[in-house]
This record gives sequence, C-alpha cells and structure tokens, in this order.
Amino acid sequence: MTHQIIVNSRTVDILAVLMLMSTIVLIGSSRLRVCIWAYALRSFVLALVSGLIAYFSGIHHIYVATGVSIALKVIVIPGFLFYIINKIKIKEDVESFINYTMSLFIACGLILIAYYSTQSILTFENVFMRHCLPVSLAITLLGFFVMISRKKAITQILGLLAMEDGLFFAALSTSYGMPLVVELGVFFDILVSVIIMGIYVYRIKETFDTIDTDVLRELRE
Amino acid sequence: MLIFWLLIIPMVTAGICVFIPKHSVSKYVSIAGSFITFVYNIVLNCIAYKYHTLQGFDGFFYLDSLSILSTQIVSLVGFAAALYSAGYMEAELHDGEFSEKKLRWYYFLFHMFIFTMLSVCVCNNLGIMWVAMEATTLATTFLVGFYNKKPHHEAAWKYIIICTVGITLALFGVILTYHSAKGTLGGIGYALNWSELLKEADRFEPHLIRLAFLFILVGYGTKAGLAPMHTWLPDAHSQAPSPISALFSGVLLNCSMYGIIRYHILASKCVGAEYSGTLLMIFGFISILVSVPFIIVQKDFKRLLAFSSIEHIGIIALGFGFGGMYGVYGAGLHAFSHAIVKSLLFFCAGNVFLKYKTREIDNIKGAIKIIPVTGVMFLIGIFAITGTPPFNIFLSEFLILADGFSSGRPLAIIFCSLVTIALVLIFVGFVYNMFKMIFGSSEPNPERGEVSKFTIVAMGFLLFFVLVVSIYVPPFLNKILQDIYDIVRNV
Repeated sequence: MTHQIIVNSRTVDILAVLMLMSTIVLIGSSRLRVCIWAYALRSFVLALVSGLIAYFSGIHHIYVATGVSIALKVIVIPGFLFYIINKIKIKEDVESFINYTMSLFIACGLILIAYYSTQSILTFENVFMRHCLPVSLAITLLGFFVMISRKKAITQILGLLAMEDGLFFAALSTSYGMPLVVELGVFFDILVSVIIMGIYVYRIKETFDTIDTDVLRELRE
Repeated sequence: MLIFWLLIIPMVTAGICVFIPKHSVSKYVSIAGSFITFVYNIVLNCIAYKYHTLQGFDGFFYLDSLSILSTQIVSLVGFAAALYSAGYMEAELHDGEFSEKKLRWYYFLFHMFIFTMLSVCVCNNLGIMWVAMEATTLATTFLVGFYNKKPHHEAAWKYIIICTVGITLALFGVILTYHSAKGTLGGIGYALNWSELLKEADRFEPHLIRLAFLFILVGYGTKAGLAPMHTWLPDAHSQAPSPISALFSGVLLNCSMYGIIRYHILASKCVGAEYSGTLLMIFGFISILVSVPFIIVQKDFKRLLAFSSIEHIGIIALGFGFGGMYGVYGAGLHAFSHAIVKSLLFFCAGNVFLKYKTREIDNIKGAIKIIPVTGVMFLIGIFAITGTPPFNIFLSEFLILADGFSSGRPLAIIFCSLVTIALVLIFVGFVYNMFKMIFGSSEPNPERGEVSKFTIVAMGFLLFFVLVVSIYVPPFLNKILQDIYDIVRNV
C-alpha cells in the first residue's frame, strides 16, 4: 500500500512538472499557436491527474469531471481559440510589455514565491502530492503574470485559462476536486466566458483594427 | 421547492422575451415577469421570516434574514429597472441607437442578470454561489457593450477581464474553505453548504480560513467595487444603458458584498471577528478615500454616480467591519437605502441623457426647467445620496459612524474622523457638479417635456420607498436588520 502511494505520488509529481513546463511555454514562446497547443497539453495532463485520482481513490464521480474536462478544455476551447485566430488573421507573434528574457526571470521568481509561501500551509499535509499545491499556485501566478504583461487580447485569455487550470489542480491535489455539481458549474462558466471573450476579441479587432489591448485607453479621467 | 420558483420566474421571462420580436409586446412581458418576481419574493420572504430560516432541496437553497434583505433589494430594484427599461429603451430605439431585433437580447440578458443575482442570494452551497457570481459577469458583459461602439467595447473588455480574474482568485478562497472543511465535515455532498460549515467553523484550520477570507475579499471585492480593485466600475457603469447601470450600482455590488459577508461570518467564528472585520474596515476606508477626488473633479455625470457607488460600498464594508450592533444594523440599512437612492439617481441621469444626448456635466444646463419631474427627483436624490438629513442615508451613515466612534478602537476612530471629512467633501463635490446641470439656463435648449411615462412611474416607485425609509424604518425591515446582526454575531 505504501509502495503504491509512493509510485502514485511520483507519477503525479511528474505530471505536475509537465503542467508547470507547459505554462512556462506560454511565457517563453513568441508564437500564439504554440501557446494554444501548450494550453491543450496542460489541460490534458490535468485531466490525466484527475483520472489517476479517480482510479486510486475510488471516487467515481471524478471520472465524470475528467471526461467533461477533456471534452471542454482539450478539444472545444483550444478549437475555438484556433478558430478565432484564423478568423481574424492576426499576426503570429505575441507582443509583450516585458521582453522574453526578463519574463522568464520573473517567472522563476514567481515559482520560488509559490514554493515558499505554501510551505507554512503544508506542514500538516500528508506526503502524497506534496509538490502539487506549490505547483498549482505557481501556475496560477504565472497565468496572472501573463494577463498583466501581454498586449494581445487572446494571450490574456490564455493567461486566465492558466489561472483556472492552476486552481483546478489545487482543488484536485488538496481535496480530490470539488463536489461534482460545483465542478460542472465551473466548467460551464469557463466555457461561456471564453466564448464571450472570443467574441469581444473579434469585435475589438473589427472596431480598433488590432487586438493589442493598449489601444483600449479612451475611458479615463 | 418554494425558493426554486423564485429562480424559475425570471428565467422563464427571459426565455419568453427572446421570442417576441415587437418591443411593444416584450416590454409588457418583461414588466409582468419582474412584477411577479417582486410579489412572489415578498410572499416567500414572509414565509421565511415566519420560520426564521427556510431550506429547500435538501439544503441546496437557504434563506435567512441576510438573504431576505438581498433578494428584496434585487427584486425591488429589478422591477423598477424593468419599468424604466420599457420607457428608456423605447426612446433609444426611436432614436435608432439599435435595432428592434437586438432589443430582444437586451430583455433576455436583463432577466438572466436578475436570475443570476437571485441565485447568488439563495444558494446555500458556496461553490454554486461562486458559479452564480461568475454568471452575473457573463450575463452583463453584452449589456455593458450593448451599443457596440468603441468605448463600449473597451468598457466591456475591461469589465469581463478584471471581474473574471477577481472571481478566479475568489475560487481559490472557495477551494481553501472546502479543503479545511473536508477534514471536519468529511462528506462530499454538503461540505460546501454554508449552514453546515457554520456549525463546524470553530474546528477549521485557522491558517487556511485566514488565507481563504483574504482571497474571497479580494475576489468578490473586485465585483463589489472595493478599491483598489474598482477600476472596471466607472467604465462599465458609464457605458451600460442607464437601467443596467442602476442594477449594477444598486444591486450587483450588494450581491457581491453579500458573498463577502457570508465568509466574514465563517471567518469570525473560526478566528475571531477581529481579523476579517479589520480587513473589511481597511478596504472600505480606502474605497471611500479613493472616490473623493474623482467625485470633485468629475466631468461625466454617470461616472460621478459610479464613483459615488464605490464610496457607498466602502461605507457598507466599514459598517460590517466595525461589527457592533449599530454598525451592522446601519450597514444593512445602508445597503437598502443606497440601492433605491442610487437607482433613482441613475434613472434621472438616464432621462437627462436622453434629453441632452451627452454625459458631459458642462454641456447640460437647466434640467429642472426642461424636464421638471426628473429635475425635482434628481434634486431629492442628490440630497439623499450625500447623506443630508432627513433622508434615509443620513440615518444609516450616522449609525455606522457612531458605532465606529463608540467602539473605542483607535483604528476605527481614526477612520471615522477621516470619513466624516471625506463625506463633507463628497457633498460639496456632488452639489457643485450637479447644481450646474439642474439649474441655470443656456441656449439652445432641447424641447421641454419628459421623455416617457414609464420612466416617471419607475422613478416615483423608488421615490416612494426613499421617502418611507426616510420617515421611519418599517417594522418588517427593522426586524430583519436586527436578525442580520444576530446572524453576523453568530448568536
């Protein structure tokens, strides 16, 4: 039994690292399509983690959440984002207020912060999934960083999705996910918000002829 | 089952409104729907009031005095806004601002907005409450950007991005609460039900609850318009159609505050009222201070009203933060008073906008001569919102500040002294800016006469409540406010 737990926790650790790396791709890559693929990959790994947890904990309703998560976050949302960028024919490269080298340094700093700040909470935690809470907080912080440092509206959506992935991972690793009805509600909200944001990306492109959000500066005192 | 119907009515109304192409029909459907919601809510609240609390669907819904106050505000202002929309949107349609086809979606989203806000107030499960809170953002984004022009796109984009990020942070708070509760409550199903959580709250892990409350305060505080997370609010309030601005300001902010208070109660039981109360006080205080300069130098009257909302949500937070009998009572009363007065002001502002076609304060003169009824109500509203006696807001602000001064905590006394100065400055700013619009005369003036009867009826309806609460607090409301104090203190 203990052996099995150690094996599982190793597997989950590896998956957690994969998720973290795919988030760093979002910061380090200059190509929008790569960023969307990275999102799909991270969502897939997240679904794997939740599938593993469902299998080993024997809580069957987690399978439902896993299935919905694969359908929405690996297929529907990335597909929709690809559809949007094809439709508005934007330039491929991601523009940032901060250059890439600097961004990566900041990302490292954020990961360290995530590790240090969760140490105090983790003292009473069991060994299983010891690295998961720091990683999930790191993903959330990195997503937040992408949202405030990138110019393109579509990259901001990707940052938001990263934040949400981080939180899902936190919920999974601390308490095997939330009650099913809540998870389904959250999935629904994410889907609708991405669709609405996608529509606004399109409208902003139509009216401002760019999707750089620094043109949105008309309303101020 | 009783509570379930409260949510069904606005949903069905929304569904019907989509299929009616003619505005001359759909406006009556919308008014009828919101009127039924309003009346049904009163009946429901009377039942809940009789039994103290009401549960439904195996504890999925939960209604106590705190939710009664919130649903009452939603349905009352919702009904007034539906009445007002009938006149306002008709006039805008007449001016060719949008097509009749598009107006169906306005009514659909309007009633979905009401539905989501009612869900926030009656759902016992904190996770579902989160889902409903996010749904209020989703339902209103298209309403903020309804006119489809550059500034509206900008406001809508800022609104959805800032609020979604805020709410996402709140989700972390929900997760932490669930995690700390799971240890004691164990069960999967209802471990997020507020009523169950409250029973066990003193056995939760204090670290986690402190962290959770912080995330909830920042997250829902973004939606409530607490500074410094308020940046979306002036843009969204000024760009949305006036009835929607009224709902934003009067109701949505209260719903978010309601969410924060639910966690404030949990956190108080777990780690003592000091921690969460002080945080509420600080955020409330900052919100009041931030709004002062923007109110004084404001050029756009809808933005001015938006900043005033930030101030008032700050006062409500301050009242709950002080946590004494007068503070909590005053905060509840303030939430109600502010909702009706601010909606009245946004309706007046909408009528002025329809007449003058501008939001610039400098370009508007002599509103009281051109639109006399609106002008007079505007004047009453301005005195009421700035806390001039004998109006209702004076009473609640007085109670809150009195509680702060009498609590004897140095921080509270410093805050109260500074807030008193801030309130005077806000009064000066309001009167200076608004009197320029209401009085005086300039050429060329638009044609004399009110725009629509519906808008006048809606405003009169709200004015009635403003005046009643100014004279005395009705026994029903009084009892509910006292109950809220008991709930907050966990007696």
